[in-house]
Amino acid sequence: MDTWNNFLQGTITLFSDPIGILIFFGGVIGGMLFGAIPGVSMLTLAAILLPFTAHLSPEHGIMLFSVIYCTGVYGGAITAILFNIPGAPENAPTAFDGYPMTQNGQAGKAVGAAVMCSALGGVVSTIIMMIATAPIADWAISAFGPPEIFALVFFGLAVAASVGAKTFWKGWLSILIGLMVAVVGLDPVGGIERYDFEMPYLLAGIHFIPTILGFFAVSEIFVQAEKKVRGSYQAPKMSVDFPSLQELIAHKFAVVRSIVIGFFCGILPGIGATLAAFMGYNEAVRWSKTPEEFGKGKLEGVISSETANNAATGAAMIPLLALGLPGGALTAMMVGVFQMHDMEPGPLVFLNSADLVWVVFAAMFFANCSILLIGFLETKTIINLLRIPFQFLAPMILLLATVGAYAVRGLTIDVVVMFLAGVVGFFLRRSGYSVAGIVLGLILGKIGEQTFAQAMQMLHFEWSGFFNRPIALLLLVAGLLTLCGSIYGAFFKKASAPAPTGSDHPPEPPPPAGG
Amino acid sequence: MIGRLRVGHLVEAGLWLTLCLFLYIYSFEFDKDIEIYKFGATAWPRTIILLMALAAIGQLIHHYVKGDEASSQMISAAVDDGAEEAAHEAHHESLNWYLSTFALLAIPFIYMRVPDWIAAMFSAGDSGLHLARIVCAAILVAIVIYFIRHHRVRVALMLPLFFAALLEDFGFYTLAPFFIIGVMYVFGERRAKPMALVMALIYGLLLMLFVKILFVGLPVGNIKPFYDIGSWVVTVLQ
Repeated sequence: MDTWNNFLQGTITLFSDPIGILIFFGGVIGGMLFGAIPGVSMLTLAAILLPFTAHLSPEHGIMLFSVIYCTGVYGGAITAILFNIPGAPENAPTAFDGYPMTQNGQAGKAVGAAVMCSALGGVVSTIIMMIATAPIADWAISAFGPPEIFALVFFGLAVAASVGAKTFWKGWLSILIGLMVAVVGLDPVGGIERYDFEMPYLLAGIHFIPTILGFFAVSEIFVQAEKKVRGSYQAPKMSVDFPSLQELIAHKFAVVRSIVIGFFCGILPGIGATLAAFMGYNEAVRWSKTPEEFGKGKLEGVISSETANNAATGAAMIPLLALGLPGGALTAMMVGVFQMHDMEPGPLVFLNSADLVWVVFAAMFFANCSILLIGFLETKTIINLLRIPFQFLAPMILLLATVGAYAVRGLTIDVVVMFLAGVVGFFLRRSGYSVAGIVLGLILGKIGEQTFAQAMQMLHFEWSGFFNRPIALLLLVAGLLTLCGSIYGAFFKKASAPAPTGSDHPPEPPPPAGG
Repeated sequence: MIGRLRVGHLVEAGLWLTLCLFLYIYSFEFDKDIEIYKFGATAWPRTIILLMALAAIGQLIHHYVKGDEASSQMISAAVDDGAEEAAHEAHHESLNWYLSTFALLAIPFIYMRVPDWIAAMFSAGDSGLHLARIVCAAILVAIVIYFIRHHRVRVALMLPLFFAALLEDFGFYTLAPFFIIGVMYVFGERRAKPMALVMALIYGLLLMLFVKILFVGLPVGNIKPFYDIGSWVVTVLQ
């Protein structure tokens, strides 16, 4: 009853304030648009808006970011499906089947499924979040220490290594590149400079926003440039064909499974929606009777990924608000919003600013409902973006990415890093490596090292300490089994289908006009 | 050819192992004790380097046994995003293509370093350094224009990096229109009127959104008259 009353109070506070309403709808539409426009993401919008939240009240600032989070995660699915450019890492698995669906002329159906499942996952997650925040926060505090978080990061990376790359080894190499990039800067325990090459810029580490923009948006432009040169670039076929209710009901187990996965991944600090989407997708493949159809345009792939990542958004707010631990890039920016108002996220927020918490919860609930409404109305507008010739879209994407990378810290070197990441991403992608794996390694690398150091200090540097912590042990064993299974598969099982391209082609004459 | 190995596979493994060796040797630069943490600052990166070397060797063995075949149980993405296919279709897989591409990619880095060396050589002050940068940029732009017609993918890779390298000195407001036209040209657009219209539209939209509405401070440049142009645009809009 208290929850219901608090929710009503939060709703009244939200919708009785004209500025609050304006910011709410601005966040809903802005999140969706920035999520949907290829080459930019909700992170770009959030980075641009971060300095301006100093002029807003803390309620409005946090509410704006939480709304952008909900709708941006959905918006990123649109570009993942239509252009194979995930708006954020959490949309990467959506592209695995969403983009092939677009190429098969089923863009509308894929986007429709993303709308429905994003809204459903988000709404259910928000309701559970409202009901269970306190008990779940208590459980997480007592059950999840650094050893468990480290074990979960290991498990997450072991799962992610089998997603996205051409071979298991390339999957691991992609993740290891990300982990290595995360090492650059100060070490988390002693503050010792590592791989700074005596460049002051590298002391603060390589920022994840330019890197994400480079690997996803810029490298995609380069790939399209190569396709254009040989005339193999094809604008995706257009259609608006939303999935029927029966089709969605047929995937009810996938939806429920993805909500559960998404929620539990989202609640754990540092894991968030990215791993939720990967795990949601991975589990869909594992449970499927036709796993070989995944990656070729299977609706269940989009449903699983989009339900899981939006289910994580509500849950991701729990560690942020209850423990002060960000679950990902956007929640990390929310910590910045708190700090700009001389506040620290954590248990005290519940005591001192209960109004803020419930306005944010109410705003997230209605933002997820808005996905359903605005998502359907906006989809046709977004699909119209496909009609814009790519030679006109490309400079817009590159310049928006430039502004996004520069706006984070006001450094032109961030723009250089972004384009450099784009070039590296282009060469790695054409060699079968996974840029999503690199970004996952980058984001989880810092958390992994920090929690490993804390865990070892906690366990007095005794590895056997993990045996006394059942959850950590379970996750480590699960990670190791996943790893062993992948190594076995890499050497002893034959691939179900040959790669679409190989390099064992006979030498061919050079093109008349090189590119 | 050894087993199913190609030269490309050996080069790939060689690059990975060289990178591992370099990173391992460099790790001695920060091999310091941390009082409260017995593993020190190097244990984590060296573990990653070791795993990277093992994965590179595993990849080489995979190539030896299975060639370019994809692993089983992999949830495909990289193999389906068309990047490999596009590279093959465009015949961009030869060593010559890679070498000439990397040579062109050096242009932005030449701009970042060479003017400073020239200015230091002649003990030039700020104005001398700025002149060196303008002259160097002009020469490099001429080289880019020479290559743009026949080496579109190479220029597409280099152009944004070159734009980013010039951004600090010449400013966003001066460079953006030329960058927009350059990218459109690289992507195959040749009609002057649509190019001019789209350039004006994109430039106007970006300035309205970020400068007029969101007050985002974009780089105005360091060198006159480009700095004056950037400042003038900002003053007019705000």
